[in-house]
Amino acid sequence: MNDGASRNANYYDLDDIVIEEELVPVVFHKSANGVKVDPSAEKDFVGRRSEGRAAILACSGVIFEASCINKCSGMFQPKHIEGIELNFHFHVLGRNKGCGQFLCQKINMVGDRTIGKMLLSTFQMRYKDILTKAHTVAYAMASKFLTVLTKEETNLCEAAQHSMATFKKWRIGGPRFQRASVLGRKRKPIE
Amino acid sequence: MAGQSDSPISLFSPEEVEFIAEDELMEIVPNMRMDPLNFICGDFGPFFPQIPVKVPLWLAVALKKRGKCTIRPPQWMTVENLTQVLEGEREDQGTFQAVPFHYIEISRLLFDHSAREDIPDIYMVRSLIEDIRDVRLHKVETNLEKFSATSAVKIAHLSAMEVNVVRPFVVRSLQAFYKHDNPVVTADLDSMSNRQPQVRQPQVPNNARRIVAQDCPLTIPFVLQQPLKRR
Repeated sequence: MNDGASRNANYYDLDDIVIEEELVPVVFHKSANGVKVDPSAEKDFVGRRSEGRAAILACSGVIFEASCINKCSGMFQPKHIEGIELNFHFHVLGRNKGCGQFLCQKINMVGDRTIGKMLLSTFQMRYKDILTKAHTVAYAMASKFLTVLTKEETNLCEAAQHSMATFKKWRIGGPRFQRASVLGRKRKPIE
Repeated sequence: MAGQSDSPISLFSPEEVEFIAEDELMEIVPNMRMDPLNFICGDFGPFFPQIPVKVPLWLAVALKKRGKCTIRPPQWMTVENLTQVLEGEREDQGTFQAVPFHYIEISRLLFDHSAREDIPDIYMVRSLIEDIRDVRLHKVETNLEKFSATSAVKIAHLSAMEVNVVRPFVVRSLQAFYKHDNPVVTADLDSMSNRQPQVRQPQVPNNARRIVAQDCPLTIPFVLQQPLKRR
């Protein structure tokens, strides 16, 4: 029962929905009328090979019709991917809270295998370096490294801390056998 | 059985795990005479003075609070046994010692609820159990570093409360590993390499992920379903 409820709750992944508003650079393969990518443009028209920025949500539909290709944004240029492999990953991924979701969306569209592999290896490194300490790390320390985590990593870390806090609260908590409030009262006389 | 706790990431609260542990059988020595008690979970009694009888932990605590019995501590709850377990935990960092599945909950119930005079060397026993719990939790955390993009996690001799503490983290970790190493995406990318990029159609994987406390009287599977994506 709970499993089903949990699945339904995940049906709309809010993080994925929010990140679909993110603007990414695109190159149009075909000219199209009624499309306005550049707000300063006078006409609602994009020419062949013109470049602009569009939301991921809009890109998905356009790419499906093979009308444009999606370019890697500056953050994911090869030099940054190299940087991630050279252990600068904390800084690079920490710049964008929604980076994990963003990259997953990019994998679906760009067709660049290196991004998927890079994302997995980066997550594994960060998981081993900081996330596995989430249960026992002190609160002050935790709040310090929370700033460099992506949104999904923050959720992961908070789940661990919440779980441990609940356990500690239970361990030092008061009596669980609580007296029912109705017991001990005098009964009303039956008239 | 579904937990009643409100958080979707934690299926069982510590109180619910404790509630489950209250069904463990304990030996008591009654000081009164009473007919058998017939419960849904079984029949217990009859009760005669000074004749030991086994009852669920919740009943033992309830009778003890009313001064109707003394509780005999479990065999594992001795200074000698616990010292041995603690040494074993400290010596071998890779594996866990075999301890009762509900040792944390049982010890807390006995320590907090009136069984103090029934347990020999209560302070030493309590201290040893806290040390064992701390060492094991530290070891659990160390073991989490060995996770990789796996489909299942098996940790032998992990207790119910220890599983419950790490479950939200482990489940989310496996979800993240799965998300970033999705074989469906990889397969799609293989087929996409020679043509224009397309939007990937959502697919629900058949495989499920779970964490299992191995070699325990009770296993708690946590099956993860890949959430359906909005498209």
